Amino acid sequence: MAAGKQCDSKQQWEVIKKSFFIEGNLSDISDGEDDLALVIRLVQQLGAGQLVLDLALDAIWVALRQSIVPKFWSNFVIYNSQRCGKDDDPGEGSVEVMSRVATAISELYDSAVSFLPQIHRCEMLCEHSGAKFEECIPGGMMEHFKLHLRATLHSQMPTSFTNLLHKFYSAAFKVFYHAEVGNQVEESDETTDEAMQCGGCDAATDACHCQAITNTFCQVNRQLLELDLLERLAGDIISSLLLSVITDHVSATCRDSYDQSRISQLEKWVENVVIGWLEVVYCGGRGQLSSADSAIQTMVANNLNQTYMTALYHTYTTTRIDQLFNIVIEYPESQPALEDIRECLDRTHLRNHLVESLRSAIQTRLLHPGVNTTDVLHAYISAIKALRVLDPKGVLLELVSEPVRQYLRGREDTVRYIVTSLTDESCSELSEELLVAAPLVLDDSHSDDDNMDFWETWTPDPRTADIISMLVNIYGSKDVFITEYRTILADRILSQFSYDTEREIRYLEHLKCEVMVKDVADSKRINSSINSDENPRREKQKFPVSCMILSAQFWPSFKEERLQLPEEVMKELDTYTEAFQDLKGNRTLNWKPHLGQVQVEIELKNRTLNLTVTPTQATVIYHFQERSRWSIGDLSTITQENFPCPCQGVLQEVESDVFVLVEGEELGDKGHTATVGVSQPDIAPPAIEEDEAESVMASAQDQREEELQVFWSYIVGMLTNLDSLPLERIHAMLKMFVQGSVECSPQELRAFLDRKVRQHQLIFTNGLYKLPKN
Amino acid sequence: MAQNVPPGTVAASDSNKNNNERAIAGRDSHSVSKRLQHELMTLMISMDKGISAFPDGDNLFKWVGTLTGPASTVYEGLSYRLSLEFPSSYPYAAPTVKFITSCFHPNVDLHGNICLDILKEKWSASYDVRAILLSIQSLLGEPNNDSPLNGHAAELWANQVAYKKHLLEHYKKANGESK
Amino acid sequence: MKVKIKSWTGVATWRWVANDDSCGICRMPFDGCCSDCRLPGDDCPLVWGQCSHCFHIHCIMKWLQSQQLHQQCPMCRQEWKFKE
Repeated sequence: MAAGKQCDSKQQWEVIKKSFFIEGNLSDISDGEDDLALVIRLVQQLGAGQLVLDLALDAIWVALRQSIVPKFWSNFVIYNSQRCGKDDDPGEGSVEVMSRVATAISELYDSAVSFLPQIHRCEMLCEHSGAKFEECIPGGMMEHFKLHLRATLHSQMPTSFTNLLHKFYSAAFKVFYHAEVGNQVEESDETTDEAMQCGGCDAATDACHCQAITNTFCQVNRQLLELDLLERLAGDIISSLLLSVITDHVSATCRDSYDQSRISQLEKWVENVVIGWLEVVYCGGRGQLSSADSAIQTMVANNLNQTYMTALYHTYTTTRIDQLFNIVIEYPESQPALEDIRECLDRTHLRNHLVESLRSAIQTRLLHPGVNTTDVLHAYISAIKALRVLDPKGVLLELVSEPVRQYLRGREDTVRYIVTSLTDESCSELSEELLVAAPLVLDDSHSDDDNMDFWETWTPDPRTADIISMLVNIYGSKDVFITEYRTILADRILSQFSYDTEREIRYLEHLKCEVMVKDVADSKRINSSINSDENPRREKQKFPVSCMILSAQFWPSFKEERLQLPEEVMKELDTYTEAFQDLKGNRTLNWKPHLGQVQVEIELKNRTLNLTVTPTQATVIYHFQERSRWSIGDLSTITQENFPCPCQGVLQEVESDVFVLVEGEELGDKGHTATVGVSQPDIAPPAIEEDEAESVMASAQDQREEELQVFWSYIVGMLTNLDSLPLERIHAMLKMFVQGSVECSPQELRAFLDRKVRQHQLIFTNGLYKLPKN
Repeated sequence: MAQNVPPGTVAASDSNKNNNERAIAGRDSHSVSKRLQHELMTLMISMDKGISAFPDGDNLFKWVGTLTGPASTVYEGLSYRLSLEFPSSYPYAAPTVKFITSCFHPNVDLHGNICLDILKEKWSASYDVRAILLSIQSLLGEPNNDSPLNGHAAELWANQVAYKKHLLEHYKKANGESK
Repeated sequence: MKVKIKSWTGVATWRWVANDDSCGICRMPFDGCCSDCRLPGDDCPLVWGQCSHCFHIHCIMKWLQSQQLHQQCPMCRQEWKFKE
């Protein structure tokens, strides 16, 4: 041995090189354990452990870099060039993709596995020669190898790979999905297709290769897992695939239907489908877990479960938020969807998104001139109700509804619409709302009269009555609302004399119109008493008179009009007044001659008309008995009415402001005259068309100047006696002491006071207002 | 249900004890407020020259009044503050009216108390703040010297020149003090 | 042409036949109700004294109850007697 030392050294190196495949062909690795032991001892003797290890490892890295990995990627690069870069081309079927990926992975796996003996040798070398590999990497030699493999793969990854792998996983998922749920779900949907095509692999049913795909798939995953490549290569693809699957499923599930709670169904779906598939991916299929995989199992159970559930809540909530406007509009049918959202809002951070999104949806879909006020109001009410479901504390509601309120305030017809809706039977939503509101039980000792503290302190049932107050609060002032309400109620009562008060009574008490309603009921009683057969006056009557008898103090003020009724009519009304006086000692009646409803029969040459008309119309037509031609001016003189309304079917304007009676039908055959205001007998149209008729009440707006004048006298009063006061005190005292105080904002008051300062009727110093001396 | 009734009602039915009394007291103070509010409105709108009154702060039952001496009397041009306190039985009982500004007058004492029959035995429910202030205003020029609260003033009244001199001194001193 | 009125439904406000518009005691309009009432008319009627002054019945009753010595009309101080 000693003699051969010199020449041996070269030989020995060759042996070492061969054993560790330094510069050698990696494919012919032999497993001779005995040889290895000898070689290692040799290396030891030479003290070259570190050198050999470095060289050996380097050889592996070079092999990986120059041969294994490029070869692996070439599978996909070829694919890429064949397809001319069209990665999204669906041309290649799932089978081809599956097999390509499987082959490539399989090859890679085999190559990697073929390094195992070499790795093993290196490990032995370390153990016995004290050589060390790069210390900064934790784990054993094997880990070290896997890391290098991952890094090398990653550094050379072609772009098309992701698409291909995505396809691979998509196809596998489809098969899984089909097996898991497809059979139950799609059976009914795709009866025609199913006969010929498998829902899982798209192949003909008789040639279904779902099982083959699943097998290939499991094999690939197992191999990748073993190489620790699964997460690195496919992790992102799997999660993005699953996220898009979740998104698709959620939006398919939630499309246009808000009337069912979906969340627990979706949770179950994620558990079965998403988590179930992940188990297949990471564990090679459910129920096949070996104990070694328990770490993975735990990871799937905890981490991924949570990740995908969170994704589900997020996706679901986002989807619902996109639909929220419709959901709100369709309340209460959409209650289940709202409850789902409420539940999810606690698990996501989408509150702000919800507010922003709903606000902008409302802005673009609701708050523009194309939407009529009624619809805006209905949407507003739905929003109130729906958002209460989402957030009982009302914070969301406040944020979302403020722009709507602001918008409604700007529309002139809002009050009228609210009030009309409250009383209109055809628009029942609002009035229903009022009817379900618990009725106020009024103790007699605390009457709800004109005093403001009733409204100020009344605590409504937060669920229902609140909606009324939210409507009322659009205006910030109950008084504006109540004034308008009374006006409209008055118009309504006085235009439909058969007014049904039953449904009104419950909620009118909220709105302090009790006496108005009582007047209607009392009038009915008085009329039937006065018109009863036992009344001796009845004999002499030319026609029956009935009357709506009002308590003036409790009605809005009337526009004063002095219609002079025909004498014949006056006589009958006087008779009625006498009967009333008999009935109610010490009380009498003041007639509002222009208000009411008259049934007349007009006998013409060749026809008889039965009409329901206003007193003014009746009076005008009555005068045509005396003369068949009247000018407006003459009519006005005789009726004391400024604008008599001679638009009857029997009158024709022959020249400007001059009307003649049309006896026959010859002039009316063109429709100019004959039908205007004419009704079929027995079907009386309302004498006053609701939308056309001008209110008989003085408008609330007309009274504003007068109110400011009242404010001024109070201000003078308080400053006379209390010297000087700041704006806030003046405002508070006006609010407190002015009877039936109409809302006046501090801003409005300041403007008013400043005007008085400019007119030298007030002095403003040091933030205090006072009166000038004398 | 309790949620839907006005709080006042709840309060009244909360306690069984004194339930009735309280309800009546509540109703009284309520209708008195109503009456006072009504009076205030009438007073404000009528804008009489020389008399005025307004609630002092938040309390509708306590008012401050202002009146000026009637023309062609020694009190002409002088302005007086008064306080008016209304009982819960108003207007069936008279309010308590006093001068805040010290007033030298036969029927007004040093504490501002006024001797006026309509505020005592001649009170009527048909009187109101306006009537009271007008009566006090005319009392200034037409004192009742038979039953004076201020003997010195009653004695001096006969000599209008001396009276006026003393009155103006008194008024100046009173107003100087109050400022 | 002949116009025949078949029926007339009119509108009127009722009022008390009294010398004054409002009650001298509570200051509320007669056609409204006294400050203790909610409904006017039958529920809060007027009464007349022999002196011809009239008040809401609730108001004058309260006044008379508050007077210990004499039962006088608040307006004219004549002895109060209800007009038959």
